Amino acid sequence: MLMLRVMTWISLRLGRRAGRLVLHPIAGYFLLFAPASRRASSAYLRRVLARPPRWRDLYRHIFTFAATIHDRVYLINRRFDLFEFEVHGEEMLQRLLAGGKGLFLMGAHLGSFEAIRALGRKDTDFRVAMLMHEDNARKINAMLAAINPEAVQDIIGLGHIDSMLTVQQRLDQGCIVGMLADRTPGNDTLCPVRILGADANLPRGPFRMAALLRRPVAFMTGLYLGGNRYAIHFDRLADFSTVARGERDAAVELAITRYAALLDQYCREAPYNWFNFFDFWQASAAATASPT
Amino acid sequence: MIECLNLEVTAEQIAPDAPLYGDGLGLDSIDVLEVALVVSKRYGLQLQSGSADNPHIFKSLRSLSDHIAAQRTR
Repeated sequence: MLMLRVMTWISLRLGRRAGRLVLHPIAGYFLLFAPASRRASSAYLRRVLARPPRWRDLYRHIFTFAATIHDRVYLINRRFDLFEFEVHGEEMLQRLLAGGKGLFLMGAHLGSFEAIRALGRKDTDFRVAMLMHEDNARKINAMLAAINPEAVQDIIGLGHIDSMLTVQQRLDQGCIVGMLADRTPGNDTLCPVRILGADANLPRGPFRMAALLRRPVAFMTGLYLGGNRYAIHFDRLADFSTVARGERDAAVELAITRYAALLDQYCREAPYNWFNFFDFWQASAAATASPT
Repeated sequence: MIECLNLEVTAEQIAPDAPLYGDGLGLDSIDVLEVALVVSKRYGLQLQSGSADNPHIFKSLRSLSDHIAAQRTR
């Protein structure tokens, strides 16, 4: 969070090119003085690169993270002219939305979810409500308001008794409801999966919700390719529209397995875009050992 | 409700006044959604998000059934 604040300040004051110069010492600082993040980065890179990572790999990983945070400021300010986007799967998304009943968009701490704003650049009318933890919701809204008061997103905070009713209402209005589905809030039941050849666990909650509300689900990531280039990918994950109650659990499991496979695929495609700077695999193994 | 959530308790074990959400029966917000969906299907009443009454309605099984009894359309 400190990093976020520092970066926002720099981006706003100095512009993208100058801002990116400052990113280097910042990435260097975090590489040297954030040992926990460095260890997590190292463990992840070892998996994805299938070799011991070098210092320059670690640096590149942290720099990529810093760069996407930095770019968020410009995306929020609708400075799409600064970037080159390649978008994959937008037609599929349009088709799913054509039903008029909304859809769920599951992202991850992989690449930049903010890149979805780039879709609005062609006047296509995507309305996105983000579902997230109440604390994060407050922080993000404060940040958005500071950067561009008009950009304040529709954010649904979790943890209210009627959070899910709000989700349902947005979907009924034809909105996209987005969330990051790779971290567990702590009290969710977990689904064992394989990512990068190792056991991990993913929360069931996001997919259970989509199944209950009988909506289509798509995957989304905005991979940073370096320079000013992003590749935005939408992939079909599941369509719960016609899934009967008895088949629900199996369908949820299948969707999570597919989600894990997409994480695996895009991690390999753009290895430095994985932004879970903690030991994702071990942390989720520990969570299974002591289900609370 | 037990049937729709696959809860591992019997109807007699749910105290009518015990809290549904969080402590007590320990339903999460997705469970509440499931209950709301079943209620709207079976009794024809819509539970609205953002309604100031929601925490009260979902306080306990008793408050929920009181609300359904008062508002049901079928």
